Amino acid sequence: MLARYGKLGVVAVLLAAAASVPLFTDQQYLLNVLTMIFLFSALGIAWNFIGGYAAQLSLGHAVFLAIGAYTTIILFTRYHVTPLVGMFVGAVLAVAASVIIGYPCFRLRGPYFTLSTIAFGEILRILLLHYGNFTGGANGLNIPYRGEQPWNLQFDSKASYYWIMLAVLVLFYVLGKVITTSRIGMYLQAIRDDQDAAESLGVKTGNVKLTALMISAGLTGLLGAIYACIIGFVDPGSVASTTMSTQIALVAIVGGVGTLGGPIVGAAVVTGLTEVTNAWLGATRTGTSLTLYGALLMIIVLTRPAGLISLVDLIKWPKKSEKPTEPATEVTSR
Amino acid sequence: MMVQSIINGLMIGGIYALVAVGLTLIFGVMGIVNFAQGELLMVGMFLTYLLNQWLGLGIYPLFFVVTPLCFLIGYGIFRGLINRVIGKPDIYQILLTLGLSIFLINGAIMIWGPDYHSIPNTIKQAAWNFGGFSIPVARVIAFCVAAAMVWALNIVINKTEMGRAMRATAESREIATLLGINPRRTFAIAFAIGIALAGAAGLLMSPLFYVYPHVGQLFSNTAFVVVVLGGMGDVYGAMIGGLLIGIVEALSSVYLAMDLAQLGVFVIFILVLFLRPNGLFGRRTA
Repeated sequence: MLARYGKLGVVAVLLAAAASVPLFTDQQYLLNVLTMIFLFSALGIAWNFIGGYAAQLSLGHAVFLAIGAYTTIILFTRYHVTPLVGMFVGAVLAVAASVIIGYPCFRLRGPYFTLSTIAFGEILRILLLHYGNFTGGANGLNIPYRGEQPWNLQFDSKASYYWIMLAVLVLFYVLGKVITTSRIGMYLQAIRDDQDAAESLGVKTGNVKLTALMISAGLTGLLGAIYACIIGFVDPGSVASTTMSTQIALVAIVGGVGTLGGPIVGAAVVTGLTEVTNAWLGATRTGTSLTLYGALLMIIVLTRPAGLISLVDLIKWPKKSEKPTEPATEVTSR
Repeated sequence: MMVQSIINGLMIGGIYALVAVGLTLIFGVMGIVNFAQGELLMVGMFLTYLLNQWLGLGIYPLFFVVTPLCFLIGYGIFRGLINRVIGKPDIYQILLTLGLSIFLINGAIMIWGPDYHSIPNTIKQAAWNFGGFSIPVARVIAFCVAAAMVWALNIVINKTEMGRAMRATAESREIATLLGINPRRTFAIAFAIGIALAGAAGLLMSPLFYVYPHVGQLFSNTAFVVVVLGGMGDVYGAMIGGLLIGIVEALSSVYLAMDLAQLGVFVIFILVLFLRPNGLFGRRTA
């Protein structure tokens, strides 16, 4: 019990520290980087429902992100619908898309599933470029800034976005905890460990995977809407590209597939890496951060497939025997 | 118009076939989907470009330098990376080759910048005209060399000791080992051949396309489509699939819209995946 309260206390202190960052600094750059880390952590958590817990490697999550982002921006700029409503419309549309994609895709396994998610991503990108009258084509769409309007999620200072994104991340984390310890979470872990065995024990694997994808897509759609509000601009190259899909997956994989803390570690490392190399080398060597990214991914796969968060297990925790059991975070894909 | 676009489609389809045959050979022999195949095509193009600059050799004589070089690169990649994930879950193999692809694209951007380069040549504009149709010479050469390479590969697979070892290893690694075949060596050679084909495709494309770090992505998605269309691991299927996709792309760019050329390809891909996941011809071969 003591250990449990101790752990909660650590989390509370960390959260309080994270929440108070904007009080001590008004460096917009730093707040921006941290906001992006939170955003990608949340994206990794959302991806993990299908990619981690169900072990269905999706490289098409940009589809859901783009649907959320484009829906929100189009509703707001053309029909004056506040993003607070638009984000939920976007999430519903993303869930609808996930059913259309998931229903046929889950008959496929392994590389076939991954390939079909890539194909859906490419189809959406091509359509966004083709129907330029509606979507802005390659030029994209932007939200004209009209001053501080909290009901439209428009703020003067970066700090507001920082707090919103931190709150969303905490919400997603808690949601992830609830879902992974629920019945469906158990089913997902059974599927990950052995799909055929789970099936033979009466788990309707198709339905379970589809539910996981719907949750994942809805959450990703919401984040797409928030992304659009923070950046104020979307175009197919940024939100609907295979590169974005890969980045979402990488955050979870580098940190630790199928863990709740993994995506946060992954987002911090990956975003941190990008910012450090950009600050260090400037714009002269544009590929450097992504080159390191690719190398990091290969090293992780070859040496620590459970992700960077598994390094934490190497630390000798005191009172290990009293550690409470936490199925969601302890069972990694080793 | 229709006949002209079918001719154009067939010519580009030959190159798609060459990239896809390499991909399908790797999948058929060791069960690995190489997400970096397009990037090795890019490496082949860059090697052609650089060797052309340094040695002043023409594009086609460089074929005899670039293809063996890519074979060695492929052998090295297998020994250093792929070897370690053989027999591991798909997800590791996909992620490893995906990491390699990201590494190669951005490594190229880091070294040579994101700019477009072109290899000075006279063959780009040359075309044969007959009966009102015009066929660019570089495309004809690319098509013929691609066809010859696939034909040669087929002989290697079906008639040589190495090919027999590949087919046996693809069938069952354990039994092949019992028969005295070294599976790792067989895998390494099959992988190297697959990469050599990608490199050769890059060389053949270099008079027709700009050389830049992202060029592989133009071909890699299409190559996946072709491989699935032909049946994963089916070399003949990939050849026919490549030609078909070339035609579909050419026709949809004429009859749908220029920027929808790829859409037709992906829609066919999804349909084949769902209706005939073993490929149009439904055979399962190595």
